Amino acid sequence: CSFSGFKVYPGRGRWLIRTDGKTFHFLNSKCERSHFQKKNPREVSWTVLYRRKHKKGQVEEAAKKKSRKSHKAIRAVAGLSMADLMAKRNQKPEFRKAQREQAVRNAKEKAKAKEAEKKAQKQAEAKQSRPAGQKQKAAKVMKPTAPRVGGKR
Amino acid sequence: LGAALRIQAAVPATGCCVCRNWISTTPRLDYIQRRTRLRVVDNSELGRRAMEAGKPPRVMHVYGKKLKAATGDMVMVAILGQKRRGFIVGARRPEGPLRPQFDSNNLVLLNDEGQPLGNRILAPVPSFLRANRNPKLDYTKLLAIATKFV
Repeated sequence: CSFSGFKVYPGRGRWLIRTDGKTFHFLNSKCERSHFQKKNPREVSWTVLYRRKHKKGQVEEAAKKKSRKSHKAIRAVAGLSMADLMAKRNQKPEFRKAQREQAVRNAKEKAKAKEAEKKAQKQAEAKQSRPAGQKQKAAKVMKPTAPRVGGKR
Repeated sequence: LGAALRIQAAVPATGCCVCRNWISTTPRLDYIQRRTRLRVVDNSELGRRAMEAGKPPRVMHVYGKKLKAATGDMVMVAILGQKRRGFIVGARRPEGPLRPQFDSNNLVLLNDEGQPLGNRILAPVPSFLRANRNPKLDYTKLLAIATKFV
């Protein structure tokens, strides 16, 4: 039924086609009259539309719904075969910690090595270009006195 | 002063009893008969002109030895000063179970041979017409130009 939302069995009710082509099925004259009185079925409490809008009697339906659990399948990745993947997965936490510490130590040693290198380089450069260093200093002082584009005069 | 005015308004000035609420006691008058104005629902030139001019066709005669026409009957209409045959494809009167009723009395214009004047029917046509029961008219061509069956 276009108004009440109930099922209209064959032989019951009326079937109206409006001038604009819209079809309406009415269960009985109660529904028909309500429609022509321009009542909004969403405001008429015994209709299906009202009950849906105000969520009447749907708590039971919601409880009955089963929650679906998605099962994740463990698949082999491009870089690792299944065996390698499982091995990585099953590593003990102590093992992992040891790995991490090792990595940290390596990184630190690398950093130290780099620093030592840099220092050595700098010293070598300083020995080579001492006289030029003074000129550079002079040039550096010139920079701040470059012409101002805007701002305060 | 306001109270006095209100009392005055309740009493009719003339003094006689004026019935304000007229309730119609006649039954629904939704038969299609002579003098009934119909709505042309095909795309024929004549029909369109008539409807746009605000001069809908008027039934002059109902074929089939009856006085009242319903969906599936042929009628003779007067349209823009002409006499034309027409076929009723929808009526306001409720038909019966499993048959739709329409908001307007719909007409498709025919020529003298019984062929539709237009080449499309714009309103929905009830599908019980497919049984083609009218002894006076073979309206299969008419159904062929229908756009929507209901």
